[in-house]
This record gives sequence, structure tokens and C-alpha cells, in this order.
Amino acid sequence: MKSLPVTFALLSALSVAHGAEPVRFNRDVRPILAENCFACHGFDQKGRKADLRLDVREGALSVLSAEHPEESELLARIFAEDGEELMPPGKTGKRLTAAQKETLRRWIAEGAVYEKHWAFEPPKTAPGLEREGGAVIDALVRKRLEVEGLTPSPEADPETLIRRVSLDLTGLPPSPEEIDAFLHARKSDPEKAYGELVERLLQSPHHGERWARWWLDQARYADSNGYSIDAPRQIWKYRDWVIGALNEGMPFDRFTIEQLAGDLLPGATESQRIATGFHRNTQINQEGGIDKEQFRIDSVFDRVATTGTVWLGLTIGCAQCHDHKFDPIEQREYYRLFAFLNSQEEPFLKVSSPGVDFSAMTAESKALEKQITEYMEKHAADLAAWEAASTPESRKVLPSSTTAILKVPAAKRSFAQKRTLFAASLGGVGPFRVLNDRYTELDTVLNGGVTTLVLAESAAPRKTHLLIKGDFTRPAEEVQPGTPAVLHPFAASADRRPNRLDLARWIMNTENPLTARVIVNRVWQQYFGRGLVETENDFGMQGTAPSHPELLDWLAIRFRDGGWNLKELHRMITTSQTYRQSSVQRVDSREKDPGNHLLARQQRLRLDAEIVRDVALAASGLFAPKIGGPPVYPPIPDGVMGQGQVKRTWTLSKGEDRYRRGLYTFVYRASPPPSLTVFDAPDGYSTCTRRIRSNTPLQALTLLNDAAFHECANALGGLIQREGAEQAFRRCTSRRPGGEELAVISRLPPPDAARVLLNLDETVTRE
Amino acid sequence: MALGSLLAGNPRTHFPARAKHVIFLFMAGGPSQLETFSYRPKLTELNGKPIPESYVKGKRFAFMDSSHRSELLGPTVGFKQHGQSGAWVSDYLPHLAGIVDELAIVKTCKTELFNHAPAKLFMNTGSGLFGRPSMGAWVTYGLGSECDDLPGFVVLQSGPRGPRGGAVLWGSGMLPTTYQGVPLRNQGDPIVNLSTPSGITPERQRRVVDAVRELNLKRMVETGDDEISTRINAYEMAYRMQTSAPELMDISGEGQATLDLYGVKDPKEPSYARNCLLARRLVERGVRFVQLYDTNWDHHGGATENLQKHMPEKCRDIDQASAALVLDLKQRGLLEDTVVIWGGEFGRTPMGEVREATGRNHHIDAFTMWLAGGGFRGGVTYGETDEFGFGAVENPVHVHDLHATILHQLGLDHERLSVRSQGLDFRLTGVDPAHVVRDLLA
Repeated sequence: MKSLPVTFALLSALSVAHGAEPVRFNRDVRPILAENCFACHGFDQKGRKADLRLDVREGALSVLSAEHPEESELLARIFAEDGEELMPPGKTGKRLTAAQKETLRRWIAEGAVYEKHWAFEPPKTAPGLEREGGAVIDALVRKRLEVEGLTPSPEADPETLIRRVSLDLTGLPPSPEEIDAFLHARKSDPEKAYGELVERLLQSPHHGERWARWWLDQARYADSNGYSIDAPRQIWKYRDWVIGALNEGMPFDRFTIEQLAGDLLPGATESQRIATGFHRNTQINQEGGIDKEQFRIDSVFDRVATTGTVWLGLTIGCAQCHDHKFDPIEQREYYRLFAFLNSQEEPFLKVSSPGVDFSAMTAESKALEKQITEYMEKHAADLAAWEAASTPESRKVLPSSTTAILKVPAAKRSFAQKRTLFAASLGGVGPFRVLNDRYTELDTVLNGGVTTLVLAESAAPRKTHLLIKGDFTRPAEEVQPGTPAVLHPFAASADRRPNRLDLARWIMNTENPLTARVIVNRVWQQYFGRGLVETENDFGMQGTAPSHPELLDWLAIRFRDGGWNLKELHRMITTSQTYRQSSVQRVDSREKDPGNHLLARQQRLRLDAEIVRDVALAASGLFAPKIGGPPVYPPIPDGVMGQGQVKRTWTLSKGEDRYRRGLYTFVYRASPPPSLTVFDAPDGYSTCTRRIRSNTPLQALTLLNDAAFHECANALGGLIQREGAEQAFRRCTSRRPGGEELAVISRLPPPDAARVLLNLDETVTRE
Repeated sequence: MALGSLLAGNPRTHFPARAKHVIFLFMAGGPSQLETFSYRPKLTELNGKPIPESYVKGKRFAFMDSSHRSELLGPTVGFKQHGQSGAWVSDYLPHLAGIVDELAIVKTCKTELFNHAPAKLFMNTGSGLFGRPSMGAWVTYGLGSECDDLPGFVVLQSGPRGPRGGAVLWGSGMLPTTYQGVPLRNQGDPIVNLSTPSGITPERQRRVVDAVRELNLKRMVETGDDEISTRINAYEMAYRMQTSAPELMDISGEGQATLDLYGVKDPKEPSYARNCLLARRLVERGVRFVQLYDTNWDHHGGATENLQKHMPEKCRDIDQASAALVLDLKQRGLLEDTVVIWGGEFGRTPMGEVREATGRNHHIDAFTMWLAGGGFRGGVTYGETDEFGFGAVENPVHVHDLHATILHQLGLDHERLSVRSQGLDFRLTGVDPAHVVRDLLA
């Protein structure tokens, strides 16, 4: 783990304490109050102490003195010695630093001016930004660097640059031939060569794969139902929809609307309905004995929180049980958002598509049919007893289709009818259930073709109530769909109840101050390891202030007004000099800005879990470039699938499917592939907007010993024999080894040399 | 705080610690308190009679629409008092009965969720939602590891299948994956990808690791990136683990007396007893948090989890070895530094549930757990339930209180052990106040 970053707010606070520049509420004061005071003196009425709120000026006036600012009660309390008087109280564990107290003192002396929270104001274009694209990025980054007396780093060397931009735009390293071509093209015109490189990568079909994974993290995508049973599910058509949409350059507003409400668009196409899989990536609890309503509500909670985090960058989920402690979102407003997402059915859509291994599934289905028949024969007496004991009263709870079967004489019942009765009589428990569930799953696929999970609106909308403390057994007053008052107004349709489509359109409304900022920030984060707003999932009061507010706003406006064009955003960032800088540490910038918040250099970043695999496959020549289709089963360590309650089978993929990108590996939520989790791939339980980058011994064991990586090493060893060690070094790092490096590699036999290359820090890092 | 930390010897504690290690014996499925430690003779008297309406009115249970029932079920086993403390223990647990004076038995544990996976998450992470760090992750995050050749948080499993919920039960949530529990497996490699690929000798592996280090060092000098030094250290520890983990798993060097104490019949055969012995060996080596899962404690009365037939078998599986672990830790001077916890995700209803046989349904209001060592008082029975064992009538202990108490013994303040994520400070004990149960402490 990297050392804890110094937040930008702190940097500014320090410079304020020294300088003569006036204190600014949003930049200097709000972070201090939010961190230390708002929990008890903020927006949440129920949590408020001493009837004092400091988040708005009117509330704070009672502890501020206009005539004698120095005598304000607020100052008296924060400068108090330990004891009853001191704020924040000692027992909270919070303590203001001397610099923070000084900032508050100066702010009050200067008139205690409040500002609206920056993220709720529309983005503004700063004057003097006539230039275009990357040049604006560079101008704004340099402006900030100059304040600190820093200069940007030189451009990275060409090999580093092509590897960086290839990994960032496609998730694959460049081949030696691509590197040579780039080096050659640079000789005549380096700028043009780089521009063409970026264009080629943006048009590559692998671009959609790389950025799909970015989005699938946020969509909490995985291939199973989660909870304890964790049965496999089919929703890969949604994953392919994301890849396709990003490859074709679908504008982000359409991308959003189709995912949140594609089914409600007039004349919704199959593709638009597949897109609604976004909110079907919630878990489904198939455990026996559950209250289904409880888990349905849980999935709606998740959808509200995910929508809030992904598109608004707000921790809306905090208002599930009480008014938000920090942001102006009431609990009632939370349930008004909830109401948009509370009236859905959860069907699957049959998709006309090839690509399923029917022969394997048919064989498994036949075997199961035999086992189920045997079980039913063995327990026929139990069923008869259950039937005999049932009364007209007890039959009332059964579906009518089941009671109809009861009228068929036992000897004349079909296999399917018997299965239905056994399932009903056993109440959903026992070994029969395991067999039967799997049989049903296979039956769905075999007889229904490919399916995918989608959303559909209920014919009769559910009523939504505020739930006391978020407890579904404690409904309070009914609420209607609506959006938080602090944000832009919601335009309701006159003729009907507002629905998801209205919500999606409200989110993508150009008056929305948040979404464009949140998305450009999250894209920026991929390129520099950190967003311009470091708390990429919290643009609220508790979040950090942007390091480069003018740049964030400029990018947001360009994105929004330029047709929500993601590829254009990628192009602007990757062609900027800021992006192209060397990532090598410098003594001066390390001292002044150890966390590299000001971007005086690029940042070395360990590759994402899936891309660690992709690089090994590509470097060793095993990589299968096929795009899309059902998830695949590459080699995994023995025994992994026995971790969960139900042991899942893992039938190794054959042929090219054994060597597909990490993106396509089947992920069971309860027993995910170790080589992905060990490199911090998210678990698919809730939205992940920023991956952790850990650095652990288990990663070393994976790269050294895992069968899939060892297979790559063996293949790379063969390449060393044919092409030499230098070329293999290039395949892994994109650069030529130095003399010493080549000597270290060359003194080992090729299979060992290959293992060394695949284990280098550089190989799993984007520099 | 500084002085306290010095006294405790670990600069990361909030105050002096009483314990350094935790062994959590997790009985997955929810063992019946009414057949183990909570003796309720009234149930025998009223066997078959409905529980008074006032107890169950408005309550929700698992399987409400199928096998749940309201008739009381008397204990299916006899109880006796044991030890100087006179604690009641069922006849299913003769060995644990023999060490009751070492145990702090809590009869009024209370949780919030009544389905397995969510309740297991709650017991492990303090929340029924996925994605929160487990207690083992919190503890290793808070205290660091004392072991440089094994992971700081290790998970062992026995029983016919994995616990419901899977890897998320020992997950690290929003903490770095460094702190996530590492399952030691009974078969094949004890740790995933521990052994070198076939055909690679230890010498060759060493040469590869050495070459990787040499090239990584060079790159570190060129780039100035400290992260490379972390990676170099990670490779060294990985290499050491390749030797230390197999050594740990090889219990053939333990004396016959020790094997007999735990009831290990075949040192190579996976079992709960072997896992208990491994837990001691892990703690001896400095591992911070060891968690054992033993599955199939879900005695509804189904075909494979029958209260009358299978519950005594499960008790036999764990009784001798759990008691042996406490005794063995004590005789080696490790018990005072090690908290041993026994229990499951919830308990079971005083009412019978009718499936293939009569069993008991899930129940969350008053179940039993015990703690030993690490500064917990032996010979205490804490908390009292009503005459049916349905709910607490005095001293309820919420799961968050248990968590707060365990962290406290490790020198960690549960309100200060937190991590910032998604704009919130998350902690193991959640938002509502939790309390250290001081009556349990020596």
C-alpha cells in the first residue's frame, strides 16, 4: 500500500495559513467543518446537538460575533483547553490542528463568508481558455505547478509512451512490430506519429473491452447470483452490450438512458432492453426460508445507492435510515428516489444468439434427469404422504398450476409435473433442490437459447413508503417519485406518474451540475491513478475539493456540450503533455508534492487484475483476441470452487477460450477466481468506482506458480529459444533491456528467464 | 496513549492490550444453545405446548411459510452442572464440561439477521451487507502481523462443504487485500499457488526470485518508486511461505500425547481436530487471527441435519478438540495472549420445527457463545434468558458488543478503529453505540 496521500485540501490550507490570500469557505473552511463538526452540527436534524448547525450561515450566527469576531463563541470553544468546553469533544477522537484553528480564526475575522458547496453549482468556464483539447489541460496544470514553483516532467521515452497509451486505451501491450512502426513513424513527425497511434487505439475493438471493465466495476457485474447458493446466471449479453456501446462511441447520455430505462423507450429494441441489465447485477438470495420482500428491498437499496454513486458521485445511500449527516439530502428525498426504482419486475430476456456449448449442457442435463428420477422414485412415498396430509386450506398457498397437477393421478404424472410437486412438498430444501435448480437452469438455456437479465416496469406500480431506519417492516408515510431539492429541478410529465425514464433524463439533463464532473473525473482517475477530485465517489461536503477546479469544470463542460463523447475525452487526455510526461520521481516535486497531486509527473500504476493476465497472454503469444460471448473457464487452482456453500463445477475451456482476456473469465461471486481477486478485482457485491492497488506476497505466488501464468511462461520460454531474450524482454516491457539486464536474463535457461520476465514489477506496471 | 502503547509493546494499539491473538471457532449453521449450554427445564415440562403468543407476536422467522412451528420442544439431551462454577453443560459436550472453569459463557448473544449468509456476514463483519471488512481483517489492519513467513489472518475449514457466503466472510472489504483472510486448504497446496510448478526445484525457484529481485532493484533506482521495494519484500515473503506453510501443515512431529489430546486419529486426515491443532501451531508462529469454520450445524430436522441424530455427531466432532485447544494453549503459556471464541451465526428456536424429523428453526434473540483466554474471566456464565430461552431477560450482548469487547482485549478501541470510504467512517461495530462487556473480563 502506498503511504496515505496528503489531501489537496491540506496543501491549500497550509498555503493559506502562510499567505495573505483571503480564506475561501469552500476551499479552506468547509473541509475542516465537514470533517470535525457537521456530524453533530450539520444537516441531519435528528443528529443535531445543542440545536446548532454550522453548515449554513444563519445557523452559525448564534456562535459568531459580528462586532467582535475575536470573541466569537465558536473560537472560544475550539481554542478551549481540554474539558467540557472544548470542541470537537475529546471523546469523538477528533482534534483540530493549530493550522486549522488559525484558518477558522481568519475566516471569522474576514467576515465568516459562506459559499454554496462547489459541486452543487453548475461548472463554469474560466476566462482565457481559447485553446483546444490537450493544450487546455496542460495550461491549467502548469498554472497550478507554477504557483508551487514546479515544472512539468519531460515527455516519457517513446517505448514507455506507446506501452502506456496502449495499456490505457486497449488494456494490451504493444507488439514489438507495433513498437517498431511507432519508432519509425516518429522519425519524420513525432507529434503526428503519436496522434495516429492514439487514433488507431481508439478505433481498436479492444478499446471497448478495456473501458467496459471500467464500467462493469461500477455496474457490479459478475456471472452468479451471490449470497449463499450463488448459482450461475446469464447476463453476459449485458457485458457485451457495454463493450459494443463503447466501441461504437455511443454518447454517454444515451449510454446512461438505455441502461437505466432502455425498456421504457418508445419501441424499445432488443439491444436497449439488454442494456437494462445494469441494475440486474444485484444479488439474488436463493437460500431457503427467506422473506423474499426483504431481499427485493435490499436490491432496490443497492440500486439507489449505485445510481447515486455512479452518476451523481453522492453517498445517497447514507440517507436510507436518517437524513444525510453531511449533504442536504433528507431521508424522505431518498425514498422519493427509491420510488423510481421500486416498481420493477425482474424477468429474463431470451436473446437470439449462438455461442453456447449445447453438447456439454445436454449431457449434464441428461445425467441430472437420471439422478432426479432416481431420487423421486426413492422418495415417492414421502410425496404421497405429503399429498395425503395436505388439506384444501394448506393447498391455498400453492400456485394454481401446482394444484392442477395434484388432480392428475400419481401414475400418470409427467417428469416435469413430478418435479414441480417434489419442489413444492420439500419447501425448497435438501439435495433434491440442488439437482432440480441446476436442471432448471440448464433447461432454461437449452430450451430457451441465450437469456439475459433485464428490468421491466410493473403494470401496477408499487406504493413506496419511507422506511423507518431503513427497516422494511416499519413503513411510514407514502412518498411519490422525485429528486433531491438541492439539485436541478425535475420536470414531471403532466399525463403520467414519473418513471425510470424520467429519472434517467433528469440525470442526463444539462443543468445537472454533477454527472459530467463525476464521469470526467472517474476517467481522469484511470489515467493518473487519482481523480482531480480524489474522493471520486463523494462530491458532497465530506469529499475532497478538486485539485484543479478550473480543469475539472472545463473537461465537464466540454464533455457535456460536445455530445457526451467519451472517445473525445480519452483523446484530449491522452494527447496532452501532462499525460505524456515521464513517471520517474524527481527530488524537487517529491519534496513539495509527495503525493503528486499537482501532476509534475505521470504515475506508475500496477495493472488491473484482468490486464495482468492479458499482458502475460500477449507477451507469451498465447492471447486469443476473440471479443464477446459467454464467459470462459481458464485454468484455476484446484479446490477453489469448494469455498462456497455449493461446490460449483469448472469445466476447463478448450481451444482459444482457454486464452481469452481476464474480462471474460467466469466470476462466481462467492468463489471468485483467485488470480483476479489477489490483484484486487472487485467482488461484484456493490459498485466499485475505484480499485485498491495492493502489493502482496500472494500476488508473487500467483505470478510465480499459478498454472495459467506458468503456461504463459512456458510459451514465452519457447519464444526466447526462437527469437532470443532481448525480444522477449521487449514483449513484456516494450523496451530493450540494458546490458546488465540482458546479462541477468541470459544466464538463466529460457524457461526460467521467461518466468523472471513475467514476474518483473515493470511487466505488471504501467509506467 | 504513547505510554500505553509502549507498555503494550505494539505501537499500533490504542491502549495496553491483554491479548495478541484470536482463534475463532465458528460453528457454521447455528448450533442449538438449548442442546449445548442453555439449560431450560421448563421446555421439557411444556414440550409440545404452544409458546405463549406474547413471545412471538409480530416476530419474523425463517421458513415462516413452510416448516416453522409454534410448539415448544424440550431439550433432546440431559444437562449437568460442572466445575467449581457449576455451569450447566449438556451431556453432548463432556470435554468442554471438563474445562468450564476456563470459559466465559455468554447465554444472551443477540444478532439481527435470521438467514445464514447475511447472519454469518453480520457475525464476521458487523453488517449484513457485502463488502465490509471481517473482524480478522480489522484486527490485522489494526495491529499488523507478527509473522513474516505466514499471512496474518488464516482460515481453516472442516465439515462437508464451505460455509454459506464463501470468501466474503474473511474478506477485507474496503481495506487493502493484504488483510484478507487466507484459507489454508486441507488438500493440495495449503495456500493457493503455494507450490512451485512441477519440475521446478527449490534451487531454480530461488534463482528466479533472485533474478527478479536484481532487476526490480535496478528499476527501483531508475524510477524512484518505493512501491517496487514493497514488491521485492513481497517476493521474499512469498518464497519463505513456500517453506513455512508446508512445515506448519506437517503435524507428524507432534507427540502422540498431543495428537491424543486433540483426538487427531490420522495426522494427514483433514478434520476439525487437526484444524484445532493447526490453530495452536499458527498462534505459536505469531499469526494474528485464526478462524476455523466447521459446517453443518443447521439442525432443522432435515435429512442430513437432524437434531436427534446429527447434532450429537457434530458435538462429538468438536467437543474434545475445542477443549484440547484451550488446555494445550494454557499448558504452553499461550492462552493468556490468545482469545478463543466459540459460536455460530445465531441460535435456534425453543419451538420445534417439523421437517423429516423435529428440529429447531433459526433464532437470533438469545444464543450462546463462549470465550476463553486473552484476559476473559473463566468460570463465568453471563446473561439470563426467559424460561424458554427465547429472549434475554438480563444482560443482552449484541454482536457489536462482542466485537467491541474482543477488540478491547487486543488494545483496540472499536470507535477509533475505522476506515474512510464512500464518504463515511466505517468500523466493525457500526453506527449505533456498542459496549465493551466488562463483566466478562478478568
